[in-house]
Amino acid sequence: MALTGIQIFKLLPKTNCGKCGIPTCLAFAMNLAAGKAELSACPFVTEEAKAQLAEASAPPIHPVTIGTGATAFKVGGETVMFRHEKKFENPTAIAVLITDSMSDAEVTNRVDNFNKYTYERVGLKLRANAVAIKSISGDPSKFGTLVEKVAKATDGALILMSDNPDVLATGLKICSSRKPLIYAATKANAETVAKLAKENSCPLVVKGSSLEEIAELTGILNKTGVNDIVIDSGSRTVKQALQDQIIIRGSALQKKFRLLGFPTITFPCEMTNNPMKEALIASMFIAKYAGIIVLSDLQGEVLFPLVVERLNIFTDPQRPLATTPGIYEIGNPNENSPLLITTNFSLTYFIVSGEIETSKVPSYLLVMDTEGLSVMTAWAAGKFVADLIATFIKKSGIEGKIKHHKLIIPGYSASESGGLEEELKGWEIMVGPREGSHIPAYLRNLKA
Amino acid sequence: MAIEIPKTPYSGKVREIKVGKGEKAITVGGENSYPFYLFEGTMTHKPRIAMEILDSPPQEWPQAAIEPFADVINDPVAWAKKCIHTYGAEMIAIQMVSTDPNGTNRGADEAAAVVKKVADAIDVPLIVWGTANHEKDTQVLTRVCEVCQDKRLIIGPVEEKDYKKIAAAAIGYKQTVVASSPIDINLAKQLNILLGNIGVADDMILMDPTVSSIGYGMEYCYSVMERMRMASLTQQDEKLQVPIICNLGKEVWKSKEVHLPDNENNMGNAKNRGIMMEAMSAMAMLLAGGDIIIMRHPEAIKLIKEMIADLTVA
Amino acid sequence: MILIGENLNIISSTIGPALKSFNAKPIQELAIAETKAGMDYLEINIGPARKDGDKLMEWVVKTVQEVTDKPLSLDTTNPIAMEAGLKVHKSRALINSISLVRMEEELPFVNKYNCDFIGLLWGRDGMPRDVNERGAIAAELLYTANEKGIPNNKIWFDPIVTPAVNIESNQVRHCLEFLSMLQDIAPEAGSVVGLSNVSNGAPTHLRAYLNRTYLMMLMKYNIHAAIVDAFDNELLDIARGRKPQLVKLVQSIMAGEKIDLASVSTEEAKYVKTARVLLGEILYSHSWLEN
Repeated sequence: MALTGIQIFKLLPKTNCGKCGIPTCLAFAMNLAAGKAELSACPFVTEEAKAQLAEASAPPIHPVTIGTGATAFKVGGETVMFRHEKKFENPTAIAVLITDSMSDAEVTNRVDNFNKYTYERVGLKLRANAVAIKSISGDPSKFGTLVEKVAKATDGALILMSDNPDVLATGLKICSSRKPLIYAATKANAETVAKLAKENSCPLVVKGSSLEEIAELTGILNKTGVNDIVIDSGSRTVKQALQDQIIIRGSALQKKFRLLGFPTITFPCEMTNNPMKEALIASMFIAKYAGIIVLSDLQGEVLFPLVVERLNIFTDPQRPLATTPGIYEIGNPNENSPLLITTNFSLTYFIVSGEIETSKVPSYLLVMDTEGLSVMTAWAAGKFVADLIATFIKKSGIEGKIKHHKLIIPGYSASESGGLEEELKGWEIMVGPREGSHIPAYLRNLKA
Repeated sequence: MAIEIPKTPYSGKVREIKVGKGEKAITVGGENSYPFYLFEGTMTHKPRIAMEILDSPPQEWPQAAIEPFADVINDPVAWAKKCIHTYGAEMIAIQMVSTDPNGTNRGADEAAAVVKKVADAIDVPLIVWGTANHEKDTQVLTRVCEVCQDKRLIIGPVEEKDYKKIAAAAIGYKQTVVASSPIDINLAKQLNILLGNIGVADDMILMDPTVSSIGYGMEYCYSVMERMRMASLTQQDEKLQVPIICNLGKEVWKSKEVHLPDNENNMGNAKNRGIMMEAMSAMAMLLAGGDIIIMRHPEAIKLIKEMIADLTVA
Repeated sequence: MILIGENLNIISSTIGPALKSFNAKPIQELAIAETKAGMDYLEINIGPARKDGDKLMEWVVKTVQEVTDKPLSLDTTNPIAMEAGLKVHKSRALINSISLVRMEEELPFVNKYNCDFIGLLWGRDGMPRDVNERGAIAAELLYTANEKGIPNNKIWFDPIVTPAVNIESNQVRHCLEFLSMLQDIAPEAGSVVGLSNVSNGAPTHLRAYLNRTYLMMLMKYNIHAAIVDAFDNELLDIARGRKPQLVKLVQSIMAGEKIDLASVSTEEAKYVKTARVLLGEILYSHSWLEN
């Protein structure tokens, strides 16, 4: 059971020194409880209180960071089974597989795609996260050469894969400063591989043939001080692998079973030979609880939908995404093209811009900052009303791009049209449809 | 090391609903656990995929979606047959796009005659989906109910603003209705109650939570569907123990990204991109609780059916 | 419990036009009626009032004070209008409300005009999502107010409830939990809710059930004040302690007791169902009382 802010407050020094960046211990305690501050920011907390707080506030699924710098990512740290309860915290990482049995050209091609395939959406850059480098040959020097090559070719996070501790050691020698994920400690090699993880301060995958075996292994590793663990349940059938994901998350969250309280890694690349089926399996794991998914190859047609699905699933249900306000040109508009306005709730933007595109009528779309609220909500909150819209239009610079003075407002904002005509002297305010799906017909009629 | 396997405290199950007639009739629903949580319960009937056809030639489909049906696209009957005989469709969904008042605005009698022809020509269950224009759907769908008496069709969407007349016709001519609500679980529950109040039998209702594609608000319907399942399975909410139908294909194939050409913006092959967006959107709907998914592309459907088989294998 | 009449509001179909045309009669009639109904404070909500809000607020405060001695709760998001109202207010007014967003601008009013204020727990990223976020916002607001020499007892914290209709984020439990912590966070501070918010979006004739039930739940945590419909007599009976049986029933549901609907009256059953909806045990629908 997590502590309340008040319970935490009682364990703090109550000096109100402000050294944590928050003016009072009470406010700091409340922020700790809300997950918005770290205990380590307090210089005066006693060791005893620290231990007590760490125990009580340890997340049920341990968050693990893989990689360094701008491409580092975190997995785990989840607190709920269903995303409507609270947001899913750390988006599933996508990795591409590279092996030492691939040709040089193939390796280059895969790393290039990994680097190149990035997508912009709602101002975010979406991309795959890691390269999994696997030793098939078992030859340490061959693996070392490959790791060196990949590490040089990309700044992405790395996963080093082999059953053989010597092979892993060779790889680590080359790239341990990049904090790669080591794959994997098994019953057979746990001790040696755990030592590697400790010496190099790298996270480690535990692979077992059953969840029981895995829990035993994580227990042993915890005792040796290895905590940054990722679980591979070993299942390679779709049904069993899904069930493992659900049981691992459920036992950590609902049963507070610490030995399975770690993020997972899954291998769609080992579940089918069909790249499209593989991507579909990956999409299942994004929704259902995988920390990392390893794909055999990255193609734009599968990576794009996967990263967008991931964005959707990991959106905070209580904080809708906002898109960047401004002027959007759709289909090469000219000075006579229609001008529409909407709010910057990302879903509103996607629907409206998509429908304008469908209409094939080149248009300007003005997206106004309403703090991510939809048209109706923004209007009700007084953020999408005549005087604010008028100010936005005047400042937007749209008047330099068009010759006419006609503005199409959303149907749900019809009541603002009078006010707008008053505020925007010389403009004609036209009330568009209420539903996005009626925009194409509306624009075509306008043109006719 | 003993693992503590968490058990969801289920207390209810989704109703079983039979649609269609004869040997090819299909029963959906009956699950008593979250979707594919087969270590906790059973899915008495696997989720089904209905193949989508239009009642008139499509206007804005990308090439990839037209291609599999190019030879039948002008004839709804031939189209439906091709779906069944070539692509193994277990259900057909006919979208009544020609009746849209913002488009060709075809009259109810003419539209219903097309449905009748299709219904007479096939033996699998038939879903008839209007344009969500309340007035027009009332005319078209009531007429469809009448001319297809006893075909055991699935008729939708039936919404809060037009349910009375359409549901009355469905009761009279023994068709199943799709209660459709705008991504809102309260309204979904309310509509199910209203339909019950005017006499629609519990086993003649499916519900449509209003779904969307990946990238276009999929997360909203995903969560609403999860909530529906939670309420029906763990909170004994009888009014939500209703199988869920998702009219998904049309949402995916109208998105901006499936219309972009090959390799645009690093998005790879256009055809496969469309197939993947449809299949992944369907996968999400299945995981959230969909019992019937209406889909468009045969290859996306094939992939999804494989996944359903894999996930429910004994 | 302090009751604040909510009815004098710009969104009302009679008061809105009266405010726009500076027509005193309907406003004064309503103020008299609310006073007679036993309200302790009268809320004056003039909305965002972006244009000439100061003139409007000054006028309406004076107009209302001509017919009642009750203190007023002034509600506008325009600080200039707020100050104009406070300047002419005779007794100790209530500012509705100050949140993190405009606190630097508006907190100075509190001691300058010797009034109380509603500390709205609205965060910089919007609506707080749980009890902890409410706690964090409250602590910051409290600290800033104390720094400016405002004592705790001048702050009435409003935890902000979302409408029950919006089950995607049922915040009732979080609000109640916050109230249970409030005296630890801010000893002697008050608490207040905009009660009718909980029933926003529900069918008009059923809203009172949600309002009343929520009030009974809040009473378990000694709610200090509530902004209410001045003309819901049943609600006033509850607030004034004239419905102890009903309050006991609702609070027993909060304590986890399973009530057999057959064992209570038809009217009581409605409150039982409503309490279950508010606690998230059953899913809201507009027909929640029937099923």
